[in-house]
Amino acid sequence: MTNHQQPTTSPRLNEALDLLYAVGPSESSTTRAQVKLREALAVAQARDVFYDLLPSSPIGAVLVAMNVRGVIAVGFGITERAFVAAVQRKTGAVVTRSPQKAAAALRQLREYLTGKRVAFDLPVDLSLQTNFQQQVLFAAREIPRGEIATYTDIARRIGRPKAARAVGQVLRQNPVPIVIPCHRVLAADGSLRGYLGGGTKTKAWLLKLEGARAG
Amino acid sequence: MKARPEFEVLVDAHSAEIFAYVWRMLRETADAEDCLQETFLRAYRAYPRLNGQANYRAWLYKIATNTARTHLKRRARSTERLTDLDPELLHTDSPLTDELDRKQTLAAIAHAVETLPHQQRAALIMRNYQELSYPAIAVALDCTEAAARANVYQALKKLRAKMTEDG
Repeated sequence: MTNHQQPTTSPRLNEALDLLYAVGPSESSTTRAQVKLREALAVAQARDVFYDLLPSSPIGAVLVAMNVRGVIAVGFGITERAFVAAVQRKTGAVVTRSPQKAAAALRQLREYLTGKRVAFDLPVDLSLQTNFQQQVLFAAREIPRGEIATYTDIARRIGRPKAARAVGQVLRQNPVPIVIPCHRVLAADGSLRGYLGGGTKTKAWLLKLEGARAG
Repeated sequence: MKARPEFEVLVDAHSAEIFAYVWRMLRETADAEDCLQETFLRAYRAYPRLNGQANYRAWLYKIATNTARTHLKRRARSTERLTDLDPELLHTDSPLTDELDRKQTLAAIAHAVETLPHQQRAALIMRNYQELSYPAIAVALDCTEAAARANVYQALKKLRAKMTEDG
């Protein structure tokens, strides 16, 4: 194909085009448009979820998902595909793998599971949980490493002493296990009871890692 | 491999010029603001899948060009042409002949530009007012570099014919 030259200069046309296009938007309207753009992007970014995974750890592959507010899901004993699908279903957000954005959470999980970290320093986002679920989960987060509590203890702590069974339900569906240590909560008789995907074996392993007496 | 910049870096680097581009394409501030937001929201969604070696600037122009096209189509459906010549301007003995001349020329060129195919109008603005190279325009229009040049050439040719016939 030939290279086209610009049609012979037409001063009148160039002048007319300059009248239309030479002056762009004013600085103030550009600034206003940029402010609105940043607001729109912030709304989109607040919804978006990023995840990454630790292919192997003492409890198998571990996955972590987060948004701008904090960790929203931790998974193990589950495939990457199933984890992503579950997070997508729960949040209705775009879920993208991003080793960059999930780096801090993943590093802390790795350190914790290999005994190099005693506590998590990570924000969690429980905004998809009900009020009751949030109360239970935040109460469970207060249990110190190496100690255990019963479902009834948690129920009492949140001022719902008769809700031990409901507390158990919430903790079984803890969206951020390990980071919120629901494994430190046992039945009144000290038995491990069910524990998420990994089962009681993982629960016992985590308690042993932390040096808890029970198990 | 070079690390991909954070998306915010692209926003800082290119949002002003992309706004100027869609503002020139749409010639209406509120529409241009919407178009800017849509462009960057689309870009934000697509960014994780974008090849790390891509020309980010040209890629943003590509999304902006497509978004502006959608806006222009929507506008064409919902309103009469905005730039119809105002008969008042043509039949008045205003002493401000320079100003009148300017207004008439502006109305005529705005009208002429609206008759251009979208690709040609976009190519002309990118080349002459946004300072994009032909390789970048080719990326933005998803065409060859020769076709990008041809689009600018055809745009100028048509406009010149139009302005001669009207003037």
